[in-house]
Amino acid sequence: MAELTPVQIFRREETDKYFKTGTFYLKLALVAVFFMVPFVFPSFKVIDLALKIMIFAVLVASFDILLGYTGILSFGHVMFFGIGAYSVAMMVGKYGSPSYVNLLIGFIIAMGITIALAMLISFLSLRVKAIFFAMVTLAIAEFAIIFATKLSGFTGGEDGILISMPGIFKTSYQMGTFLGLEIKGRIITYYFAFIVSLGLFLLMLRFIDSPLGRVLQAIRDNEPRAEAIGYKTFVFKAISICFGCLVATILGGLYVMWVAYANPESVLGIPIMLDVLLMVIVGGMGTLYGGLAGAAFLMIAYTFLPDLQNLTQSLLPNAHLLHSIMERWLLIFGVLFILVVFFFPKGIIGTIQDFLLQRKATSSD
Amino acid sequence: MSETILAAEAVHTHIGEHHILQGITFQAQADGVTVLIGRNGAGKSSTLKTIMGLLPASQGKILFKGEEIQNKKPYDIARLGIGFIPEHMGIFTDLTVEENMQVAMLREDAESKQRLEQILEMFTALKKFWKTKAGNLSGGQKQMLAIARAIVNDITLLLIDEPTKGLAPIVIDALIDAINQIKQNSVVVLVEQNFYMASSVGDTFHILDDGKVVHSGMMADLVADKELQSKYLGISRIAD
Amino acid sequence: MAETILQRWGQKFFILGAMTLFLLPLMGMDFKTYLTLTIAGVAVGMMLFLIASGLSLIFGLMDVINFAHGVCFAWGAYVAFTVFKYFESLVVAPSVFKNLLVFFMAIVAAMIVVAGVGIVVERVLVRRVYGSHLFQILITFGGMVVLTELIKIIWGPNDEVMPVPATFKGNWDIFDVIVLKYPIIAIVIGLIVYGIIQFVLKNTKVGKIVRAGVEDPDMVQAMGHNVFLLFTAVFAAGAGLAAVGGVAMSMFTQQVYSEMGGAYLIFAFIVVIIGGLGSITGSLVGALIVGLSYNYVAYLFPPLAMGVNILIMVIILLIKPTGLFAAGK
Repeated sequence: MAELTPVQIFRREETDKYFKTGTFYLKLALVAVFFMVPFVFPSFKVIDLALKIMIFAVLVASFDILLGYTGILSFGHVMFFGIGAYSVAMMVGKYGSPSYVNLLIGFIIAMGITIALAMLISFLSLRVKAIFFAMVTLAIAEFAIIFATKLSGFTGGEDGILISMPGIFKTSYQMGTFLGLEIKGRIITYYFAFIVSLGLFLLMLRFIDSPLGRVLQAIRDNEPRAEAIGYKTFVFKAISICFGCLVATILGGLYVMWVAYANPESVLGIPIMLDVLLMVIVGGMGTLYGGLAGAAFLMIAYTFLPDLQNLTQSLLPNAHLLHSIMERWLLIFGVLFILVVFFFPKGIIGTIQDFLLQRKATSSD
Repeated sequence: MSETILAAEAVHTHIGEHHILQGITFQAQADGVTVLIGRNGAGKSSTLKTIMGLLPASQGKILFKGEEIQNKKPYDIARLGIGFIPEHMGIFTDLTVEENMQVAMLREDAESKQRLEQILEMFTALKKFWKTKAGNLSGGQKQMLAIARAIVNDITLLLIDEPTKGLAPIVIDALIDAINQIKQNSVVVLVEQNFYMASSVGDTFHILDDGKVVHSGMMADLVADKELQSKYLGISRIAD
Repeated sequence: MAETILQRWGQKFFILGAMTLFLLPLMGMDFKTYLTLTIAGVAVGMMLFLIASGLSLIFGLMDVINFAHGVCFAWGAYVAFTVFKYFESLVVAPSVFKNLLVFFMAIVAAMIVVAGVGIVVERVLVRRVYGSHLFQILITFGGMVVLTELIKIIWGPNDEVMPVPATFKGNWDIFDVIVLKYPIIAIVIGLIVYGIIQFVLKNTKVGKIVRAGVEDPDMVQAMGHNVFLLFTAVFAAGAGLAAVGGVAMSMFTQQVYSEMGGAYLIFAFIVVIIGGLGSITGSLVGALIVGLSYNYVAYLFPPLAMGVNILIMVIILLIKPTGLFAAGK
């Protein structure tokens, strides 16, 4: 039997150690939490929130692959999400009929378009300075929205496309009960999305850890040097961009499967893109898990901040100034956002990682 | 012993993680040209930039005429009477020669105007190309403009970073003449890799290596000492 | 040392070629429509120039991306709105003098207020994120949100109709062609502003220092000039220019709404990219290109209007990645 190379030995050690660390069980617990949500909180609002957090978390992680790991800021990421959404919506709804085949075709078409577009923007990133590239992607994304809104014959315009899902994903589908939970189409869709999202996330983790992923980090840290060593940086960047965008596209399709409609505002909007950017920063750039933290933080804030406004109104009915300030909760949000970017530029996960590293450094002295 | 115009005491500078200057200590006296020489990457340019405030010193003191300047901003340092000519000359290519000089002149008084006249006598090419965009000048002419900008004000100290870089030998000779004239009015601290240049204008020298001053002395002595030249400057022994 | 013929005339050839292209739409419409669209397009171009020139200078000099720039545009419109409402009698009076007076007051007020806002933004937010474009984008985006919400708090969340002084309304009859008054006035204003900016940049010491700073801010510092003060001043000036643009645009569309900044910000970025950083002439040319092409295509194939702008931007980026008139760096 051939002897193991030092790298292989190292990797084996790493893997063995991995299963023993605390964070591994934390991650397992997290997966379990999402799995258990429909059982513990059968209310639609909570399941809806959980699914949206899931999808957005993985979306943000896919954005992080471009931003945090490859060092490319692209404002067009949500556009790919929208491509997936619209493609599935069109195949299952407007131009097709609810069937598994059409569902699959929808995904495949979306992925094809994505690869073509992603290659295009890869070429563009090669040619222009980073900040111009970001602006161009912003303009393209904005254009995609206008395109979707104005070409209403093709895309359903502002109202978008309403669909109903095929077979087991159909909202009215019933499959009996399991452990006290009614297995309806909704639930099945939830778990389908759960499995696919989890799969995509694991795929991304694997991608980051692979030799390919490590070259990407080298490119991000010092591109001229990576080139000098001999890596064709363009190829790696292109692969990374395509990968990240593909994940976004698939997620778009999943999202549509759940909400059953696609319109420019909900799947293409610039506010969503800015949300994603926000989540990546708040969660932590360059750490895929940051996406999860950021997504959870923001989604919960968006869902409950308006409620907080109502709460203060009922608790302190005479504090009018407070009311008018709370009414403009977006203002508070903006201020908080600025503070977070100033004081926690590494985001939640990043700051925690730093903190843990510091502790490790001082304890090992 | 004449007045110490510039003194650096154990100056450290970091650029990000890199510890570029690891304790620079030297003085420049009022009489003569002080040359900082050394290999590539020894920290010569960084020393000048730190003195000028363009790089923040992480430790140590820099004294100009006895006053501490290590925490001052570059524009305050310039107004104390220190002129600076960076490695890349810093010419504003889109501005004409005239406009470059206008940006350089901190005061519009008679003295400055007189200085400008004298400078244009010395560098006649600048007079000729007065209204031309500086980007269209030749290398040597750009260097002249860079020097002109630095000395048009009433300066006590002139910092020059590798002025001979990329210049033809005949231009270098013109440069040597110019600096020999300038040193009559101001103290010059010159950074050079070109030993011919350094030895032609320098009076005192300090050799830098790895961010520290490793040897100092009078230029005349260094010229005679081939061992020293070979050890620190990589100048190979040529059979005499 | 000598410029090649292509270098010297290349830009002029391009402009000539572009001008010919802009005559193309004549094939798709009658002359009157073409004239109206052209005038409107140039007018919109001028207003875009106002918002883009500030952005270009700030970006060129300070290497700072400012997402809050669009909000300055909106604030300018709102301040002018307040002035017009307060001096309503001057607005509706049929006297040219009174109309011009209140218009002038509106512009000055808008410029001063927004320049003030600009100074605060630069000192509080932007100064801390010099050097990182990503964080500039994030911080100024946060600033944009805050400033937009402040509009809603100060002026209320409703959209408003912009009152327009009587002199600016209506149209002129030139050789049987009806020409709206306001676009022409906007064009004139734009040209005046362009002239003023160019004069300041070329003939004042501050202007020269700014131009030098666009090339090499460190060197300018080492020559004794306080670049930080300069940055703040340029930032404020840029904001003020955007405010004037906002006043002009709101009078053109007669709409004042809190989100108007965001809508035009994208176009401003496209203009800056096409025109090149740090170049005022570039902003003007870029703005005219964007304004005109958008108007023509909006008439012929509405959904593609913005797409054409993006196409032009991409083509120019492929030929000259730094933009048409980028300052030599």
